[in-house]
Amino acid sequence: MTPEVLTLSETPWLFTAAMLIKVIVAFVVTLLIVAYATYAERKIIGRMQTRLGPTMTGPMGLLQPIADGLKLFFKEDIIPSQAHWFAFIIAPIMILAPAFLSIVVIPFGADFQFTYDGTLYAVPLQITDLNIGVLFILAMAGLGVYGIVLAGLASNSKYSLLGGIRSTAQMISYELAAGLSIVAIFMLSETLSMRGIVAAQQGPLWGLESLSFLPNWFIFSQPLAFLLFIVGSMAEINRTPFDLPEAETELVSGFCTEYSAMKYALFFMAEYANMITVSAIAATLFFGGWAGPFYGWINFLLKVFAFMFFFIWIRATFPRLRYDQLMFLGWKVMLPAALVNIVITGIAILLW
Amino acid sequence: MFKEFAKGLSITLKHLLPGNSTTVAYPKQKLEMSPRFRGLHRLVPTQHREKCVACYLCPTVCPAKCITVVSAENDKGEKYPEVYTIDMLRCIFCGYCVEACPVEAIEMTSAYELANFKREDFDFTKERLLRS
Amino acid sequence: MAVNNTETMTINMGPQHPSTHGVLQLILELDGEIVVKATPHIGFLHRGIEKLSEHRTYHQTIPLTDRLDYLAPMSNNLGYVLAVEKLLGMTDEIPERVQRIRVIMAELTRLKSHLVWLACHALDIGAMTVFLYCFRERENITDIYEKVSGARMTSNYFRVGGLSADLPDGLEQEIRTFAESMPAHIEEYEGLLTGNRIWQKRTIGVGKISAEAAIDIGITGPALRASGVDWDLRRDNPYSGYEDYDFEVPVREGCDTFDRYKVRLDEMRQASRIILQALDKLKPGPILADCPKIVLPNKQDVVNNIESLIHHFKIVTEGFKPEPGEIYQSVEAPKGELGFYLISDGSSHPFRMKIRPPSFVNLQGLPQMVEGRLLADVIAVIGTLDIVLGEIDR
Ligand code: SF4
Ligand code: SF4
Repeated sequence: MTPEVLTLSETPWLFTAAMLIKVIVAFVVTLLIVAYATYAERKIIGRMQTRLGPTMTGPMGLLQPIADGLKLFFKEDIIPSQAHWFAFIIAPIMILAPAFLSIVVIPFGADFQFTYDGTLYAVPLQITDLNIGVLFILAMAGLGVYGIVLAGLASNSKYSLLGGIRSTAQMISYELAAGLSIVAIFMLSETLSMRGIVAAQQGPLWGLESLSFLPNWFIFSQPLAFLLFIVGSMAEINRTPFDLPEAETELVSGFCTEYSAMKYALFFMAEYANMITVSAIAATLFFGGWAGPFYGWINFLLKVFAFMFFFIWIRATFPRLRYDQLMFLGWKVMLPAALVNIVITGIAILLW
Repeated sequence: MFKEFAKGLSITLKHLLPGNSTTVAYPKQKLEMSPRFRGLHRLVPTQHREKCVACYLCPTVCPAKCITVVSAENDKGEKYPEVYTIDMLRCIFCGYCVEACPVEAIEMTSAYELANFKREDFDFTKERLLRS
Repeated sequence: MAVNNTETMTINMGPQHPSTHGVLQLILELDGEIVVKATPHIGFLHRGIEKLSEHRTYHQTIPLTDRLDYLAPMSNNLGYVLAVEKLLGMTDEIPERVQRIRVIMAELTRLKSHLVWLACHALDIGAMTVFLYCFRERENITDIYEKVSGARMTSNYFRVGGLSADLPDGLEQEIRTFAESMPAHIEEYEGLLTGNRIWQKRTIGVGKISAEAAIDIGITGPALRASGVDWDLRRDNPYSGYEDYDFEVPVREGCDTFDRYKVRLDEMRQASRIILQALDKLKPGPILADCPKIVLPNKQDVVNNIESLIHHFKIVTEGFKPEPGEIYQSVEAPKGELGFYLISDGSSHPFRMKIRPPSFVNLQGLPQMVEGRLLADVIAVIGTLDIVLGEIDR
């Protein structure tokens, strides 16, 4: 018996309930990961730097993110008198919302099946399966820039302005490279839906039985695209070595110099939410999504955590690039490489 | 290029392993100061009085001019400091007072947690210095 | 008609800024991210040390010198003490053990100062892990400082004519172990930085200054040697027995931030070499010159010997009075040539003390090194100049 997919028209109540549950679970889990990503980052970087990281709040400092959140929540919220107050307030929201929204199209497990009233239903473990999922993600990433630019302009501070300008330039150039590197992926998968892309990565590598010990993950067919995507998205989410917009030692705190209290916390959360999103996308596009030895979402979370560890590890190790070098890398190295990759992929697909 | 990146990453990864931490969990765990440590001063007592004979050498040598001594004579005709105050806010912990004292009446302890709330709290009088 | 609407933006960097190494204020005129003009403003940390010393005896001035370059207190102590000894004409009477210990401490200080430099320089450029690795080693030096002098930063260890105390038992071995371990640690820092492409991109060709320009401005120390000028006072104008040691003076031709980085790292290796040699040559002996009118007698004699007691009182209350005259003595401090110019009018206070702080002179190179370059390079250049504001402002 093939399971029936829940739809709004056929089974409105079940659909709504399932949807609500999925949204709440995904949101809460993401928020939790955001909170504990800050903890993990401080612990991991601390250990790498022969420190301990937080130890005082709760056992092993486990309550630290909550304490930080509380502290920021109760701090005085300052809006500089010369700032444009509306843009100043809207900016942190504009950066956080897209970061969370991207999670919507990411499948985090195989279909969940259950019987109700004698019918077998299947719920896709994905909030919604947009047929243009990848485009949606790119669009959301693009929206995030506005938050930073607005924050930079609205603060009416020179450091913030420089941070805003830097991030505009940086995000635009790296979105291009990261976006183009994904093109090669959907040339292979022939779909823009995230679900479709995961489905295309099942089975043995390149359909060859002799390679059955390797899964058909796109990392193997598209290593260059993977590299470009990772570097590009690191730049897009402002992680070291591309953290120029908030380069502490140069621009004090970049676009969020003038922010305080909860608004500052929103920027902070957005950074980590973005990190989760990017990890999730990378896991979906290149590492077979939820496929793997364990139960669906466990595989997925493991992959996401592995990526996040990698980002943190990079942050502990590398120095920061300079503005012009960043532009050089974006436009003169990564963009051509992404284009070449597309051409080669095209030729390979034609010849195969 | 990638080799160097990998080398850097391996160095940080190696430090992630347990046993590399050098942190001293400060308020819970304190470092042992060396015997020569120049911390808070202490006036050395003898059986019934302080050892200091109010010779004025330490206020003279003090580069920060933070020691106040007023000498007096007790009933046995011995000189003693009626007032002996060190203004810890001015003291630069150079140790010259200890070096200058001919009778070794002043020494420096390993106390370094000297934060306090009021200015007056930093005037260390003779009684406080004898106790520290 | 085309209207040219570009404007420069003036941005005030410091005195409260995470990477101006203290309270340096830079007024930067930016065209986009390009620095058109950089004007350093100094004086936020001015304490008037030169003037203060005119009202202190020679002895009381030593703790003030701790507070010049607070990252390298013993080098300052050494420079000052040597200057006073020269003024008193007692340079030849300094016992050998004193000279050896002074060299050991001065080289440890060089390591200490360079470690902080590397830590902050790397942190400024974004490699934050190096910062803590360097501070881990610096902590060992601070511990050694504490054991010999009783203070972790403001050492105040050297005295005119000797030292305030001998090395405590077992410390020689500790210093030896540390100096032997240092090259391996330097390898570790290099592993994180030298080969890294990003580090190279951020430093090679940044903040160039030619040998002629460097000499014109008066830049000294590692910054001068990285511009290809082979000049090191320890070798070219030896003091405190530096002529006895076998060490190399690293010189490089690149004139840029990367070469200054390499020169300092090589200097750190040489410093550990010198420390080990000095430890080998260290023999027991007196730690004060035999000049009863200048050095404080030991406490035992003060109690038992009336003559010592009189000397003690006289030195403490009046200090010593050098003949009228003036001298200049310089040492190779970690940051460059640190000079003390002393004028004596025959009293127990310096009539005038002029300090030549290396950071102050080196800072003059900054505008020339950053103008026309990017904002991010300003940070790299401030780091590479290794300035300490305590010394610049005095
Ligand atoms: S330590 Fe120095 S500054 Fe402090 S009281 Fe003694 S002589 Fe004065
Ligand atoms: S030098 Fe010693 S004896 Fe003289 S006043 Fe100071 S503490 Fe007292």
